Amino acid sequence: MADGMTRVTYDYVTRTIARTLGNPGRGYFLLLGAAVALLAIGIVTLLFLLRYGLGLAGYSHPVYWAVFITCFVFWVGIAHSGTLISAILFLFRSGWRTAVYRTAEAMTVFAVMTAGLFPLIHIGRQWYFYWLIPYPNERGLWPNFKSPLIWDEFAIGTYFTVSTVFLIMGLIPDIAAVRDLATGWRKKLYTLCSVGWRGTNEEWRHYTRGYLYLAALATPLVLSVHSVVSWDFAMAIVPGWHATIFAPYFVAGAIYSGCAMVITLLVPIRKLFQLEELITVKHFENLSKLCLLTGSIVGYAYVCEYFIAWFSGNPTERAAFWYRAFGPYWWATWTMLICNAFLPLLLWVKKIRTNLTALFVISIFVNIGMWFERYVIIVVSLAGEPHTPWTNAVYNPTWADWGIMAGSFGWFFMWFLLFVKNFPAVSIAEVKEVLAPPKRVAAKGGAHA
Amino acid sequence: MTKTVAVWLCLALSAAALSAQTPTPGRYQAPVVSDTGGLKGPRQPIFFRHDIHAGQDQIPCMYCHATVAVASEPGIPALQTCIGCHQLISGSTPSHQAEIKKVRDAWRERKAPEWTRIHALPGFVRFPHQRHIKALGTQACTKCHGDVQTMPQVYQVSTLRMGWCVSCHQQNKVSRDCTVCHY
Amino acid sequence: MTDGPNSIDRRRFLKVLGVTGAGAAAISACGIGPEPTEKLIPYLIPPEDQIPGTATYYASTCRECAAGCGIHVRVREGRAVKIEGNPESPINSGRLCARGQAAPQGVYNPDRVTGPMVRNTAGGFDSITWDDAISRVQGKLTAARGHGIVFLTGADASSFGDLVDDWMRQVGGRRVSYEAFGFDALRAGNRLAFGTAAVPSYDFANAKYVLSFGADFLDTWLSPVSFQNGFSRAHAFDGSRDGSMAKFVFVGPRMSLTGMNADEWVAALPGTEGVLALAMAQVIVSRRLAAVPTDAGRLAALLADHTPAKVAAITGLDEKLIVRLATEFAAAKGGLAVAGGMAAQYANGADIVAAVNILNYVAGAVGKLVKFGPDLAVGETGTFSDFARLTADMAGGRVALLFVHGTNPAHSLPGAFTQGLAKVGYKVSFASFMDETAAAADLILPDLHPLEQWNDSRPRAGIYALQQPTMQPVFPETRQSGDVVLKIMGRPGTYRDHLQGRWRELQRRFGAGKSFEQFWMDALQHGGVYGDAPARPVRLAEGASRIAPAPAAPTGGDQTVVVFPHPVLHDGRGANKPWLQELPDPVSKIAWHGWVEVHPETAKRWDLATGDFLLLKSAFGAVKAPVWITASVRPDVLAVPTGHGHAAYGRYAKDRSFNAFELLGADANAYGGRTFAVGATATKTGEHRKIVTTEGSARERGEGSVETLTLARAKSLGAADHPFHHEETPEYAKESVEWWGERQFEQAELGNYAGEQPRWGLAVDLSKCTGCSACVTACYAENNLATVGEELMMRGREMSWLRLERYWLTDAEGHPQGAVNSPMMCQQCGNAPCEPVCPVYAAYHTPDGLNGQVYNRCVGTRYCSNNCPYKVRYFNWYNYAERGGEWEAWPEPLSMLLNPDVTVRERGVMEKCTFCVQRIRGAQNKARLEDRNVRDGEIVPACAQSCPSEAIVFGDLHDRNSEVYKLAGNPRGYHVLAGLNTKPAVTYLARVVSNG
Repeated sequence: MADGMTRVTYDYVTRTIARTLGNPGRGYFLLLGAAVALLAIGIVTLLFLLRYGLGLAGYSHPVYWAVFITCFVFWVGIAHSGTLISAILFLFRSGWRTAVYRTAEAMTVFAVMTAGLFPLIHIGRQWYFYWLIPYPNERGLWPNFKSPLIWDEFAIGTYFTVSTVFLIMGLIPDIAAVRDLATGWRKKLYTLCSVGWRGTNEEWRHYTRGYLYLAALATPLVLSVHSVVSWDFAMAIVPGWHATIFAPYFVAGAIYSGCAMVITLLVPIRKLFQLEELITVKHFENLSKLCLLTGSIVGYAYVCEYFIAWFSGNPTERAAFWYRAFGPYWWATWTMLICNAFLPLLLWVKKIRTNLTALFVISIFVNIGMWFERYVIIVVSLAGEPHTPWTNAVYNPTWADWGIMAGSFGWFFMWFLLFVKNFPAVSIAEVKEVLAPPKRVAAKGGAHA
Repeated sequence: MTKTVAVWLCLALSAAALSAQTPTPGRYQAPVVSDTGGLKGPRQPIFFRHDIHAGQDQIPCMYCHATVAVASEPGIPALQTCIGCHQLISGSTPSHQAEIKKVRDAWRERKAPEWTRIHALPGFVRFPHQRHIKALGTQACTKCHGDVQTMPQVYQVSTLRMGWCVSCHQQNKVSRDCTVCHY
Repeated sequence: MTDGPNSIDRRRFLKVLGVTGAGAAAISACGIGPEPTEKLIPYLIPPEDQIPGTATYYASTCRECAAGCGIHVRVREGRAVKIEGNPESPINSGRLCARGQAAPQGVYNPDRVTGPMVRNTAGGFDSITWDDAISRVQGKLTAARGHGIVFLTGADASSFGDLVDDWMRQVGGRRVSYEAFGFDALRAGNRLAFGTAAVPSYDFANAKYVLSFGADFLDTWLSPVSFQNGFSRAHAFDGSRDGSMAKFVFVGPRMSLTGMNADEWVAALPGTEGVLALAMAQVIVSRRLAAVPTDAGRLAALLADHTPAKVAAITGLDEKLIVRLATEFAAAKGGLAVAGGMAAQYANGADIVAAVNILNYVAGAVGKLVKFGPDLAVGETGTFSDFARLTADMAGGRVALLFVHGTNPAHSLPGAFTQGLAKVGYKVSFASFMDETAAAADLILPDLHPLEQWNDSRPRAGIYALQQPTMQPVFPETRQSGDVVLKIMGRPGTYRDHLQGRWRELQRRFGAGKSFEQFWMDALQHGGVYGDAPARPVRLAEGASRIAPAPAAPTGGDQTVVVFPHPVLHDGRGANKPWLQELPDPVSKIAWHGWVEVHPETAKRWDLATGDFLLLKSAFGAVKAPVWITASVRPDVLAVPTGHGHAAYGRYAKDRSFNAFELLGADANAYGGRTFAVGATATKTGEHRKIVTTEGSARERGEGSVETLTLARAKSLGAADHPFHHEETPEYAKESVEWWGERQFEQAELGNYAGEQPRWGLAVDLSKCTGCSACVTACYAENNLATVGEELMMRGREMSWLRLERYWLTDAEGHPQGAVNSPMMCQQCGNAPCEPVCPVYAAYHTPDGLNGQVYNRCVGTRYCSNNCPYKVRYFNWYNYAERGGEWEAWPEPLSMLLNPDVTVRERGVMEKCTFCVQRIRGAQNKARLEDRNVRDGEIVPACAQSCPSEAIVFGDLHDRNSEVYKLAGNPRGYHVLAGLNTKPAVTYLARVVSNG
């Protein structure tokens, strides 16, 4: 570690990170191609949906929300850890965040961009989506502010704006740095984005203040956004949705899935861009500790749900949760439980925690598990709605559901890949901040570790 | 029964129409239209002049649009209604005669003219005319349709958009419940 | 739109329509999105009786079955759009069944034969002119004289039938009338017992105890609507009328819609119903339980060897049970026993009926509840043996010229009749559909639909029902068979003249001095002349003591298979009407397909799952049927419905499922009827198929959906008692919840929520509801509900705003004894979960207490449906009105039956029951013009209007004098899922069960 640090000088950092912007290799293009292909699938599916109607998807009375909303919640969840890492850990002054927060933040922005698409895709008359937006009109009609969907709209909107601004702001000094190395069209682009940053003391003073305030501003969003999303369900009277635990439960879950996704993304990037020196095992360990914490909260929430269902003595609640665990969807429920509650317990073991391959695999499973968590909450609760058992139905997704879902992944990864190749995926400035100033390397080196 | 009434009314009206050849002061005088191309509103298969019928001859709207006060639809007069009068009235000027001839030909050929619709509401809107006539009186047609009695060729005056409906309901303090019109 | 010479073209259609904005919605089939008619085509001459935008009602008679119910046809701008019962008709007293409701889908059926056609050398059909067609027939007639001329009709006791009789006499031919489910056993049984082959009328309304031996009098037997109406009067629980609830016991191998409503189900061995009846008679006579008529002494010997002990052995029933039933039956003083349906379709059916007659006789029901005199006209239909003779003649080449009208034997008698047809010289069909029989004909002279034609009928002695054209023929090239026949006969005048000629004779009898015109107009207005025939006393016949109802085991296989008529498709005539196809069978809840009922034990033995195919092979034929596992059938019996498996007949019927008639023999049995219970072998084929059932969960009992009370408990209830009043809002929260529930809307700026407003409400008496599903079809007809077809129904996409939930009532051992049927529609909650979650106010609360659903505002987030605990909201997944679209629900000219008063919903919007808001607004407009308030009972939603058992009542809950207000306060009243505090406007009255 220590000697590792010694080699990591300011100059090294700049060069290493600048290198990541160099000409991409075949591997990169393969990944990008795959992403675009997935996106294409999604677009074609969407065209079909627009022409023929949502009937193409698997919906079946009474399951009127399904894969689309599942994906929506999934992506909003993914978004969360970004802000957590970049904003909250920034306020807590935890040094290790510097190497990873840029990636996390980019992930946040693109995840929200992805999530935002689903409400538009899943409504019956997509061409009237703007009726959900309050705007003065001759009919004197406004959206219904009692409806959680409207709250959602605002929550997501705010989150998107703030996290985007936050990302761009953090980028300014770095872009300025790479601007000075870049040539051609990139030079132009960076010059534009770096808004004439010169790195003077004045600039730095204002910049750090601004960044701090923005961080403070972004922090509450981490808690608020997913709470609001959770109210889409908690406000409804569907057994399995109508629970006070939902807000904290969802926030924890969101951060959990987010951290998992950060790991999933960082491991290959680190390899691809040879950032081993900057993004060290320590970083991953910290991330996995975060996973361990949030994961345990989620696991606890599961236990609570079932306990309360039993303890409440409410027959419909009991029926709903029995249906979850032992009904036709038992497989979804158990996938969720194993991936989210049991598998991550392996992270207690330091050996596993520090083994990137293992970490990568686990993170993938957590992602799957978190997707199924939403699937269980949404689809299974509706399918087995115990109030009117007469209407219970079994729901099966169709090609349309999968097509849109694939498209969403394509959309997300396309943006992400484009980003990491064109902007510093690791914050140059902030990594330097936590480095020992060049002169006193030997003296401070050990102490620092 | 109704037919006989119609015939008498026709006679009376035709008399009125004939007398209308000599302008009486204080009575609306329909203009002579030379350039029909310049008129507002869509061109109809027969150049039917509301300004002459409703304005100059002062035939009440409900003589032709008979069901407006009792039904949701005002009704388009059957060709028989036109012929009822125009068996006797063949028009004073050549241009009028030409148009009236079209009516008679149509009647002979048993082929009703295809009027171009001017006031149309979307399929999801219910507009019970009778309720509005009941509330606003039989003279209220102009409130929405404009001064048809001075229009050589009818055109749409009101937007017939929801905002327009609502504003009127607001002024008159009547229900603005959605299911009054939408079901 | 198709442009064939006979296809209905838009211009003519518009003319018929008389063009109105509202009408525009119906043609520009996409109601949402401004698509008004761009042209206005006025009438040449305005029809005297038509006001644009206002409905005209014509009285006529329903011809969907032989019952002859009176109907009012609702006509808008010249199109018949809805059929409702005629309150003046003594048959159905204003009520109508699902089949009657579906009649418009016959007139506007896209598969109608649009003009006369003749078979060409290639085997196809060429259209020809009527003159040509008629001259061909005349030619054939002269040639065929003496070589056998036969005119085959359905049950047709009408002037047309008589005209055909004259004609056949004239040309030396004969008329044969045929009903797939004839009533031969009933008539033979009556002859055996009373020496008369007439079919009496049964007075269910005044019965104190109803005992049905297989007779499905609520769904397919004789005159279902009138019987159901009467039955519900007797069987309903009415606190004020003590012991009002006549117990109903059903004896039969399977539980039909009728059996489902029984308080007790006696699953006797098939064919043993007769001996059971005799045993009961024996008990009554031997124990002097009733004032037995003297001449019953003749039966001593017969009864002696039918002691309960003996019979118990044969029937497999407990001796005590038999005695108990007999005692109850006699003690009720007014017990009515009916035999028919299944029981009358075994080889010993006639004797069974006779035995039941004897039971009625000794219990004193004959003459009181079983009235000979006002006989039902179906009794005049030809017997199956006549028909069997005809098929034999045909096969033997003894028929040179065959006319077929109003029946489709090629479907109900697939083998024999079709082979026979091949040997017939020349076959003329009057069918309006290309059904199996028509497809085999040489010449087709398409008849008008009953809604387009003149005719009359005599459903019951003393009743003369008139039938008048309610609209111009949809297809101008179709012609009334009456006119055609007259033309062929060379008689002058139209059929209308002929009809009036015959009615002059009636005028002499009933005219009461009125001029004929007056008499005729009155008859047209009232739907006919309704007199009553005097009752005719009957005595035991000589042969009565010699009947032998002992069961004869069906031969040809180890399994007894009973073939029963489908409740709505009946013998298959309903199969091309999407409304009826999509209507779930009241018992199995299966739609769009046939099934075979298998008892769980049997299924276990053969290791079958619902949907597995069984190959049933009888001595006469074989069918492959998917299994429906149910405890509502005897373990040793398999039951299959008819109705499906058409080889022709139209897009909705063709090649769908299997034809159960294949299993049956073509020969008449001992009493000259057809045997519908056959022996067969059943083998598992290994194939499997998903069958559409609307029954969701395996959990059979509703959780708070339906409530029941025992008769004793129900009687004990005082006016103040509310056994089902459970409110889960805690005391401390009550105030705020109430406040929120009531005030939340007054804040709303739109609409005037303050001030005196009605609160529309509904009351549903589960003790009356039989689950017949007439209301469902009525709802489809009134509210432009799309039919989505089998594939989409499998995915739960059906649009049925009103669904009937059927929950089995089981005895201590868990055997079903009957079922509670609960019509579930939007509850119009006062505190509705669907409203606050809608982001655009498409779902909102109207001032008059409805849960408004503004289709054109809905963006389709579907949140409302998720949040609806009753799950009564339905989503338009596709554009079902799209011309030529894959899921088109109203292919031309079916779209002409769309109700102009109701928006046709676009894809992507939510829809649901609105309490027929269009009718509410219509009544309010009317009242406003007359400067008065809406009267109680003035507004009748489609479901309530058609309900044969009058179980649904609509009205204003704020009106202290309204019928619905009284019912809402009934001690039996409860709200579904009241614990959720949704404050529904629909009050259900608990089903009273009188077992034991």
